[in-house]
Amino acid sequence: MIRLSGRLRSSVIIGGQGIRARKLRTFLSMVSLFMGVLAVVVVQAGSEIANRAMLEDVELSQGKDGTRQLYLPPEGGAVETTLEVVAGRSDAVALTNATAIIGEPGVKPVNEGGGPVDQPGGYGPRMFCDQNGCHEIDDGTRGSPKGQAIQLELVGMTGDIRAFRPFRPSSGKWLDFGGEPSLAPRLVLNKKAADAFERYRVPAEMRVQGSDVNATPQIVGVVDDGGFMPAAYVRSDELRNWLPVRDMASGDSGPGLRVMLSPSATDVEHTLRARLVASGTPEDRIHFNTINSLERMSSQLTLMRWIFLGMAALVLLIGVAGILNVGLATVGERIEEFALRRAVGTPRLLLAGIVLAETLLTGLLTAAAAIGAGVVALRVGGDMFGSRYPSLSGVEFPWQAGVAGVVAGLVAGVLGGLIPAIRAARIPIATVMRA
Amino acid sequence: MTPLLRLSGITKTLKGQQEPRTILAGVDLAVHSGESVAILGRSGSGKSTLLSVIGLFDRPDGGEYLLGDRDITRVPERKAAALRSAEFGFVFQRFFLLKHLTAAQNVAMALVNGQGWLPRRKRRAKVLAALERVGIGHLAKHKPPRLSGGEQQRVAIARALVREPRILLADEPTGALDTETGNLVVEALRATTDRGCGLVLVTHDRHHAAKMGRVLTLSDGLLRPTPERVVV
Repeated sequence: MIRLSGRLRSSVIIGGQGIRARKLRTFLSMVSLFMGVLAVVVVQAGSEIANRAMLEDVELSQGKDGTRQLYLPPEGGAVETTLEVVAGRSDAVALTNATAIIGEPGVKPVNEGGGPVDQPGGYGPRMFCDQNGCHEIDDGTRGSPKGQAIQLELVGMTGDIRAFRPFRPSSGKWLDFGGEPSLAPRLVLNKKAADAFERYRVPAEMRVQGSDVNATPQIVGVVDDGGFMPAAYVRSDELRNWLPVRDMASGDSGPGLRVMLSPSATDVEHTLRARLVASGTPEDRIHFNTINSLERMSSQLTLMRWIFLGMAALVLLIGVAGILNVGLATVGERIEEFALRRAVGTPRLLLAGIVLAETLLTGLLTAAAAIGAGVVALRVGGDMFGSRYPSLSGVEFPWQAGVAGVVAGLVAGVLGGLIPAIRAARIPIATVMRA
Repeated sequence: MTPLLRLSGITKTLKGQQEPRTILAGVDLAVHSGESVAILGRSGSGKSTLLSVIGLFDRPDGGEYLLGDRDITRVPERKAAALRSAEFGFVFQRFFLLKHLTAAQNVAMALVNGQGWLPRRKRRAKVLAALERVGIGHLAKHKPPRLSGGEQQRVAIARALVREPRILLADEPTGALDTETGNLVVEALRATTDRGCGLVLVTHDRHHAAKMGRVLTLSDGLLRPTPERVVV
């Protein structure tokens, strides 16, 4: 162990002396290698940043990786049971969907069907289909003229959904689930809904399908939920003041009931399943599944990453050829030095180690320069383009890119130094006698 | 008393592009502790080849080579490197100092060679002691281009002595020096035998050879004692 340590130290010391003695040559080697290592750093950093951005987008619209979720038709006692089981919990949240129209009473909304307002034509009236064909759902505006009203999806929540879907705040504030429910339901709009209300100034009256009376909502904030249809989020208990549970279960009010649970909330999952079965929900309709955001997007990124890494490797190889060329020339110049070192007892292996140490140190210095350049470029790029591309704003330099840069520098050092190292070790010792 | 080294019937044939040429044809030599031996001979007589064999740069084709009691005739390269480091010191005609290193760093080269490890402080003390021993301790921080030929050769001697070898091998150490400086260098080399080191000096210079305890001549591949009148 001591011997190995001594040899390692010796090779690093002598390698360092060699680098100091040939500063310009080392610098030129670094220049030839720099682009290759930088390419590896950029590809790795780019893929990590893209990975994170895509993951954030997927988590925004689908849910965090590993989240358990359950979809149920809002039939029988499913809604009431579910709301009862998950109420007040932080590791589970139940979401009910309802259709709401905010604006002038007795008119058809400008976006009939609840589509985006900037889409010409809209989605048209909502339809219900059975074995007899499809029929328009009566939302109370059939035959009414179009007016100043906006239709949106109203999502009732028993708790903070952001634990499972990391909504990005845009303005205002998020719902407070701690206090007493308000009679004027507090809404947080998504960006599409906020855009609609920006475009159309409508009266603050809200009709919820299934409810007999209209409420006056309070809009408290706007979030980006990744959706492309107007939607608003509301506390379930505030919604229930205006929409009784029996009407939530009508089947016309939305796509159904959704429950999201953290992976550790197995007790809630078991309780919910048992209670749902007891309340009449057939067991074969209760299917929990796990959100696999990472798995879904990793396959999309893998191919692209390999293509770019291949290109970076090619650039790196060109840099390696530069180091190899310089290394061979340097060994040729140092024949007498290496022969002398052997004469004073330096083993062949250590001679090879000295040459490798020099190229490895050169590779590491280059990696440090490339990583530094990457960090600076990312910071400058973030400052310059962060406002235009939100995924760039506030992005930290990924540590994986730093590791990739160091590995690339080491690999280049080994590849570029191996043949010169072997040549150095083979220099005949008698060279010094014949000189 | 067991000699430091003993060569018996050492043969060496060089296989070049032309016909093989026998350089050493059965050399016998014993060097004792504190003894100095000069080897004279014409150019091409095989003096440097003999020194290469003694210094384990090369292996003999035949014969026996004992270092103390140990037979090292066929010692593998890995062990030969360790022996070169521990037992031998080398001084060459050209000084082989690295220009980018100071005198002290050049001397330390023999300590930073992967054969054991000395902490920096001990290393520095040994290097300074070796430089002091050859009278140039004050030049430790000078780089070779700033040193005279004699000073450079003394740095090379300090490098050879820093590991306190038992045998010092010098191949034409005064070949690149003027007479006066050469005398100083030979005196520095001879002084190493006072501490029990064995010295083998290969030289063309009979005056320098005369300062050694024993003078031998290599001719026709054999070592023979040199008549005193020839040396004088």
